[in-house]
This record gives sequence, structure tokens and C-alpha cells, in this order.
Amino acid sequence: MTKTNLTLFGSALLLLCMPLAAHADGRIKGTGGVSSISGAGGGGLTPWAVLTSHSTREEWGGSVFLTTANVDDFTLDVAGAGFNYKDRIEVSYARQNFTIKANDARISQDIVGLKYRLAGDLLYGTVPQIVIGAEHHSLRDPATARAVGARKTHGTDVYVSTARAWIDGIANRTTMLNVNLRYSTANQFGLLGHGGDDMGSRLHLEAAAGVFLTRSLVVGAEYRHKSDNLSALNEESATDVFVAWLPSKRFSVTAAWVDLGEIAGAADQTGFYLSIQGTL
Amino acid sequence: MRKAGFVCRVAVLTLSGVFLTACVTAPREENLFQALGGQEGINVIVENFIMAIARDERVIDHFAVSNVERFRSMMREHLCFIADGPCEYTGDSMIDTHVGMGVTEGDFNAIVEDMMAAMNQAEVPIGTQNRLLSRLAELRGEIIYR
Repeated sequence: MTKTNLTLFGSALLLLCMPLAAHADGRIKGTGGVSSISGAGGGGLTPWAVLTSHSTREEWGGSVFLTTANVDDFTLDVAGAGFNYKDRIEVSYARQNFTIKANDARISQDIVGLKYRLAGDLLYGTVPQIVIGAEHHSLRDPATARAVGARKTHGTDVYVSTARAWIDGIANRTTMLNVNLRYSTANQFGLLGHGGDDMGSRLHLEAAAGVFLTRSLVVGAEYRHKSDNLSALNEESATDVFVAWLPSKRFSVTAAWVDLGEIAGAADQTGFYLSIQGTL
Repeated sequence: MRKAGFVCRVAVLTLSGVFLTACVTAPREENLFQALGGQEGINVIVENFIMAIARDERVIDHFAVSNVERFRSMMREHLCFIADGPCEYTGDSMIDTHVGMGVTEGDFNAIVEDMMAAMNQAEVPIGTQNRLLSRLAELRGEIIYR
């Protein structure tokens, strides 16, 4: 399926759910975050402990998104969708197309995500919002992963995530903090498969912080620890600095500067990231 | 070596001085009641808030049987009290006020948005809005699903 087809597919799926999600506006703008590269509500490089859309425990909601990351030697294009059932369960899907600029070679991957809200609330009460989640990666182009020595061409990450937003935070601006603990054997987000001959730590820490300068403008940063599992190739952690614009509950644009470190022998992969999201 | 030590000490002393000065001169946050423009400012916010609720189809039904006069005077008092103003709140507790109303989390958030709109209309700066909103947010547990 081409990217265009996929986007159409996602949009069609969301349109089907429209009657159910028609008034899924019950949460405060921004509390659904944006769409991460895995399709899960996040965050950009990492999911966050928020469930996509603005639906409450009485509502259903969903979102579709398109993302592109363009670093020195590679591009990553992502399209996907997420559904939120009563602000308790999130199901997400993303198709990632990773392109090596030098030879126009492409690695395509599907990611299906599941997130369950265990306790707490992002904004209210004494307990921060806590979720558990899983992301299943499956490569559609497994040749590269096999060539670099990955053990498997599919795999599942599991994570626990917690997030808190302080309404009256830094400089009286609403301030959000998110921390994830992930169990993963993925190489480069799963694009180079899972596992290898020189396994690094399977436990990864991810963190994100953001400040709402206004009700519609958020600036922040993310860090995602990644392990180096392949002796043939070096892998490093990823970071980004982002600004997200949320003019309404329906639409958001996120721009970021990303540093993905070394990828497949190409060092210092930095560049820009752009994501648009539509929410129902 | 000695010179480097001296430079280092001067740097540390300067830095300590900067931090100490920062601590001593850090402006104490203005009283929230004053920041909201005193009772006059609060009254404007309450008027805007009532109008915002009246226009809000999501929540207006909850107020169908409300006595607007009493709501107005109790809101003025309550906001003054919450903002550390010179008022006592003489109304009923938040639980008693909302019991049987079946206020959902969505209703509560709608009211929060109406309050934001009311404060925007009154040109309350966002930092001051957040100071009040964070205090109002603490009441949520006493208001929803009662």
C-alpha cells in the first residue's frame, strides 16, 4: 500500500468512527498531545502517557497524522491513526517509510500500538497519569535488517509511561513532564529489526518536557535512550527540541529539530521534523 | 597555578553572589486577588463567565434551575476567597452544591474553558489565569460525578 493509500485508509477509518466521536471534545486542548512516530499519542520520538484526541471517559475519539523527518542521510515518512476508547484504551497504527538518500533504498515498517491507562490524570488530582503500552513492529522490507545481523525482523516493545502537567508551572505557564521506561530489543526504532550479536540494555529511559507558552503554543524537548545491539553498526540515543502549534482541538502542527545520532554507519544524523495531525 | 586558583575563587564567589542576589531579590508573587484586579476585576470575570455559560450548550442545562443572582454573588465571593482576597465564602460546600447534578469530567472541562474565555475577555494575563485555574482545578474532585 502506498503512503497516499494508507492516508486515505486512515482517514476513511476515522470517518467511519465520526458518528461515535462526533463530540469527543471533553478534555482541555493539548491534553491529547500529538502523534508520535509510532502512531501512539505522544510526543514525537516517544509516546507519552496521554491518550490521543480529547475524548473523556464518556467519549470516543481519534486522530490521523502525517510526519516527516529529514536528517542528513535519511528521511523517515510516517502516516497513521490513533483511536481512543473512553480515555482508557488507545489503539494506534503507523506505517513508516525510511529512505536512504544515497541510493533511494527504502525500508518500510508497520507499527501497531496498544496503550492502557492504569491510573491518575494528566491535569487533575494527586496521581499523575500512568499508562502501560505495547508497540509491535513488523518490517515489510526485512532484507536490510537481516543483512546487518538483526535476530528478528519483528518485535514488540513494552513500556510504562507517566505524565503530569502543572497548570501553574514554570513562569506560571502550564508545564508538562513525561517519563517512560521501555523494554525493547529494537534496532533503530525497529527499522533495522530486533536483537543482534552484541545486545545492549533492554531497558530504556525516555523523557520529555514541555511548556505551554500560550494555550496554543508548546515548546519542549525529548530524549529517547536507544541501545546498541549490533556489533557491525553503532546506535545512539535520540533527542529533539520541538514547538507545537494547536490552533484548535481539531488540528496541530509540530516542528522539531532532531538529533538521531549515528544510523547505519552515518554519524551525527540531525535535521528537521514536521508533523501534522487532525483530531476528532 | 596560583593565578588559576584565584580566578576560580573569584568565579565561584561571583556565581554565589549572583545566586544569592537572585534569591534575595526574587520578586514575591503578587497577591492573586490584586493580580486579578481586585473585586472589580473579579466581578468582570464573573459577568463574562455567566455569559459564556449561558452560550455554552454543553453545560447550560445544568444551570437551568439556578438562581442567577445567587450564582453571581456566590461566584464573586468564592473567587475572591480562593484568590486570597479579603472575603469569606458564605455559600454551600462544593460537594453540597453539585450533588445530584451529575457533572461529568467533560462538563467540568467545559466550565474550565468558559472560565478561560471569561478571563481572556477580561484581558487577564495567561500567567495570572493559570494561578487561578490551578486553584480551581483542586476543587474538581468535589464537583464531578456527585
